[in-house]
Amino acid sequence: MTTLAYTPFIDPIAAHDFWFVLLLPLAFFIAVGYKAVRTVDMRTYWRQVLTFTVQIVGGIILLGIGAYLIIAFAIPALAPMPGS
Amino acid sequence: MSTDRATLDIPAAVLAFLFPGAGQMFRGQLYRGAMASVGVLGLFLGGLLIGGIDVVDSKEDKIWFFGQAIVGPIAFGTDALHQSQFKAWAQVPAATGRPGWDKRSGYPNETRTWIEPLPQGVKFDPKERPSENGFWTWRIPNDTSDASGPPNKKSIAKMNELGTLFATLAGMLNFIIILDALLPSKRGRDLTKDASPAAGIAAATIAATAGAEVSV
Repeated sequence: MTTLAYTPFIDPIAAHDFWFVLLLPLAFFIAVGYKAVRTVDMRTYWRQVLTFTVQIVGGIILLGIGAYLIIAFAIPALAPMPGS
Repeated sequence: MSTDRATLDIPAAVLAFLFPGAGQMFRGQLYRGAMASVGVLGLFLGGLLIGGIDVVDSKEDKIWFFGQAIVGPIAFGTDALHQSQFKAWAQVPAATGRPGWDKRSGYPNETRTWIEPLPQGVKFDPKERPSENGFWTWRIPNDTSDASGPPNKKSIAKMNELGTLFATLAGMLNFIIILDALLPSKRGRDLTKDASPAAGIAAATIAATAGAEVSV
């Protein structure tokens, strides 16, 4: 098997162990683009970008916690599996 | 409701599709357009950086490409580059039930090889080759020293999922930006057209001096 050299934008990066960190640039760029067209007073633009970034990241963390609670506690309590 | 709310700025919307943020720049909102561009291109290029060119694929990931296509010619160009320079024809195994030729990415032990067009007078057999013309195909070299491998690595698992998500969200975001270019007054009248403090203060001063109504 041939080992290929890494070429940016052509080959994938090896971030399998810290993929969740990529949520930060995802949220940031969404906020930059969305607030560019939704902000009325552009003097408050960067403050709104920061706020929206934190809101997206916080929202996804809360969704993750909610999903964990449902899967780890609610579902086993409602429908226990045999042997558990 | 003011009459300008119903105005459609079609040239700005077309420009916004051709290049993210160009519609806003066309209307003189340079900073707004530049930031819209940074947002969309940041997501799209971020997707390519994470998952490689494999994440933009109109043939193998068609549903995702519908979303990515809204980024505009950049997405179509990336897909065309992917299809033409990184894929090659290969015979579909008969076990799949749909034997024939298909264009796909290469496996790590395969090398992209050019097959010359059929010579004059030789009959074309679709079982032997996908086209009478010259084409790229995948070959497993006999000599390992000759194996250069495919021109790109296919992304897998989380890197493919995240890269595809980044690039598709870029298209979704650009859809909002195109709508903003098409319906410029939906946001309400701008307090400032540019984010530079001087321009902002000047615009606000002019608005206040003229007694203009500023709808927020």
